[in-house]
Amino acid sequence: MAEVHIVGQIVGASGFPDHSLFCKWGINTGGAWKALAGLREGQTQVDTPQQHDAAYWAHPIDIHYATKGLQGWPKIHFQVWHQDSFGRNELYGYGFCHVPTTPGMHEIECPTWRPSGSFKEQVSQYFLGGGPQLKNPDLIYSGADRYRLHTIAMGSVHVRLGVILRNFDKYGIEC
Amino acid sequence: MSQSSVFLLMVGGQIESAEFPDFDDIYCKYCFTFGPDWLVTSGLDEGLTQVTKKSRDDRQQFVWNFPLDITFKTTNPFGWPQLIVHAYGIDAFGTDVVRGYGVTHVPITPGRHKIRIPMFVPESSSQLQKLTAWILGRRPEYVDVRVLAQGEGREVTRVRSQGFLTVSFNVVMKDMKKLGYDVIPSEMSTSVIPESVGPNSGGTTET
Repeated sequence: MAEVHIVGQIVGASGFPDHSLFCKWGINTGGAWKALAGLREGQTQVDTPQQHDAAYWAHPIDIHYATKGLQGWPKIHFQVWHQDSFGRNELYGYGFCHVPTTPGMHEIECPTWRPSGSFKEQVSQYFLGGGPQLKNPDLIYSGADRYRLHTIAMGSVHVRLGVILRNFDKYGIEC
Repeated sequence: MSQSSVFLLMVGGQIESAEFPDFDDIYCKYCFTFGPDWLVTSGLDEGLTQVTKKSRDDRQQFVWNFPLDITFKTTNPFGWPQLIVHAYGIDAFGTDVVRGYGVTHVPITPGRHKIRIPMFVPESSSQLQKLTAWILGRRPEYVDVRVLAQGEGREVTRVRSQGFLTVSFNVVMKDMKKLGYDVIPSEMSTSVIPESVGPNSGGTTET
């Protein structure tokens, strides 16, 4: 069986309109993949930067997968949330990216988007916060039914991932 | 020849420098955390640096140039070692307070790496706590720093990032390729590790 180790961290995020951000993340795979060790999802700390504009989480990711096939290569997805001074959480963006298929260290910048509502909802979002969210979070990393969405771009999430592959050349896979 | 299932990871490097725009007189404590399958075979996995002052020029840098030297032995890349650094400084009243926590994985590819780690401190939950913390010098700290190396339990913490730390690593692995692990793409489809090296091997490779 081929094995994949994903060792890295969610470094932080930049380009969002406000500070005090946290991120809910998860890794999604196809049916042939089995997680042998490590957490497949989690939530980072809430960071409010002192001087610079980017939020830093430094959240570790360490997962060990075993697989029988290439279909359903792991995808990591993010939901960036904003926590205001009253403790309310507001969605700031959804994003996903595939875990790199080449072994080694990778620095990935994953862009995010947020659903934008009607004009009335946008005005109320400007004054009160809140805003539309996805009912089914699977839509973050799947393409089905995306055509119904209207979205607006938000900032990007920075991830540093190291990928270790095992026995892939034994099965003739070139990556 | 017995097939051992162990590979070694040798890490050399240094805690080079840091930028903390608001503070002075800082020293660092570091430790390496790793999973249950890992073992330290040589070197120190914890230590304390010297106290340093900011440079009196435009760079405003703190320099430690502190050596890191450690070798690990393991059967499984899960639980890859992480370096946790916590920086302490002296506040206006003369007590040691935490100036930042930072964590990074040891790089998984052999070679030289220079990483800039963001440093953050936990924030007090309320304004009153912030005031008492400032007066008494008892800032919020992590009880066990190793929680930074885990993914769980951090979602309830609120932090403030202030400053960066630069660490450089020189990473060497032994026997990782022999066990079938690949960390560099170029070696995967071309090289074949011979079973034995000696006068009988013939020097030819098979595809």
